[in-house]
Amino acid sequence: MILEVLKVTKTFALGAERVVALQELDLLLAEGDFVTVIGSNGAGKSTLLNVIAGTCRPDRGRVKLAGRDVTRWPAHRRAPLIGRVFQDPLQGTAAQMTVAENLALAGKKGRRGLAPLLTRRRRRFLAEGAASLGMGLEERLSEKVAHLSGGERQALTVLMAVLTRPKLLLLDEHTAALDPANAEKVLAITEKLVAEHGLTTLMVTHRMDQALAVGNRLIMMHKGHIVLDLGEEEKRRLGVEDLVGFFRRAGVSDDALLLGANGCAGNGTMAEKAKKAKKLAHLL
Amino acid sequence: MLVANAVEQGLIYGLMALGVYLSFRVLAFPDLSVDGTFPLGAAVAGILILRGMNPILAALVAAGAGLVAGTLTGVLATRLRIPGLLAGVLTMIMLYSLNLRIMGRPNLSLLGKPSALPALARAVGAPRPYENLVAAGIFCLVAAMLVLLFLHTELGGALRAVGQNPQLVRTLGTNPDNLLVLGLAVSNGLVGFSGALAAQYSGFADVGMGVGTIIAGLASVIVGELLLRPRSLFFAVFAAVFGSCVYRLAISVALRYGATLGFTPSDLRLVTALVVLGALAAPALRAALKGETP
Repeated sequence: MILEVLKVTKTFALGAERVVALQELDLLLAEGDFVTVIGSNGAGKSTLLNVIAGTCRPDRGRVKLAGRDVTRWPAHRRAPLIGRVFQDPLQGTAAQMTVAENLALAGKKGRRGLAPLLTRRRRRFLAEGAASLGMGLEERLSEKVAHLSGGERQALTVLMAVLTRPKLLLLDEHTAALDPANAEKVLAITEKLVAEHGLTTLMVTHRMDQALAVGNRLIMMHKGHIVLDLGEEEKRRLGVEDLVGFFRRAGVSDDALLLGANGCAGNGTMAEKAKKAKKLAHLL
Repeated sequence: MLVANAVEQGLIYGLMALGVYLSFRVLAFPDLSVDGTFPLGAAVAGILILRGMNPILAALVAAGAGLVAGTLTGVLATRLRIPGLLAGVLTMIMLYSLNLRIMGRPNLSLLGKPSALPALARAVGAPRPYENLVAAGIFCLVAAMLVLLFLHTELGGALRAVGQNPQLVRTLGTNPDNLLVLGLAVSNGLVGFSGALAAQYSGFADVGMGVGTIIAGLASVIVGELLLRPRSLFFAVFAAVFGSCVYRLAISVALRYGATLGFTPSDLRLVTALVVLGALAAPALRAALKGETP
């Protein structure tokens, strides 16, 4: 097993209340698995990714990566084993540094010394990587990342995440902030790179059609549990309507919006989520 | 001679501006401890020179003292999670007492003592009367080159990324906290070195000589950016030094001719602060003029 999440529980304080983001959750990923994750807002998807990446320490339970117990490792120590792409394209790159410099930073994880960041040889290697994106970025290696479009920036981030061939790739709704055309493009690049390097991948998405079309396994989360775990065969037989049906049966309602976001969780801050919840409360 | 003197000072204080550029621009950390590390450098170098140490060596030791002080600010801000501004202020206040202890009195006279600038000028055979100018230029050039080289290493690259996106650095396997501490150490090392040279140049070290250092540093960085509009790191680093020279020249002119306009030297810091304020507020003011609300 590349990834073992064993009986992990994580709760957040929300005012006086305690909110459970993950409840005794178990998840095992075999080498080469490409798992898509769906679930309502606050189901615990982002918290799960944060617990795996180490930006969030679970209250109970263990996390093992490639056989090693990493539960107590800080995020930066786990980083050589993990590639990660966030929803916000701004989050995955250093805007005022060049494309080549960003790639070079990503090309060497962990220990950094006084060797030059970019050598001519290194630049050639990085240019090849950039060319594989098919976006012409290899011609723009010396441009600042701030000048790239959101789609180009996110494609670059995906490349940066896989450059060191990590044991595990974490994608947190990484196409959600892009326009449809760019989202398609970035997803295609992701699938290509994952296939090329045979990476084990965990991809959170809010689009059910995407969750069904991509990868070889699908899990649905609700209130900190995995309520559905589909293999490749079942996935192929099911349609979006079936998934919606599963959602209904799981009793997903909008009060789940309240969950999530702390220092650890969520696309959408605590304040945003609380605001959304308040709006809903008015409507009800 | 007014210009040459101003540029000399600009180069000496330019080392400090380089340090402020590192913390303020590269790390995006407003480090107020420089108001303490500048006189720290002066005090350490001063006392060592009075005890007979070689002035260049004394300046290097002063840089080391600055390094330690910067590390302290960094540790306060990261390990102890004290807000950055407060961490700098705490170090600055601690250094005030420490500087008095190091010197044993509020000021030291270094008049007639050996100084690093003439020593270096003699060594390279600089022509009269530009010894100080050439020597200060060499110190500044070497420091700027070292800073530039460092920023182009793996470590320096990560350091630059910390100021723009600390989360990214963590994702890429380096603890941004450690990089921040390192960056502040290097920054304050430069400031300490600058303080040491300033003391030797002016012939005294004074416990109060650090007041307003951060504002002068910021003014230099900002004036340099406004005048040169640097696009690359290379020019950005030199813009800080250039800005420092322009700033010292402006002060020299103001001191000489300001009296006719009703200015006195005591108005200097007010005017400097207003310049920095104007430059920092410019984006917001421009937006307000265009009718956008912040």
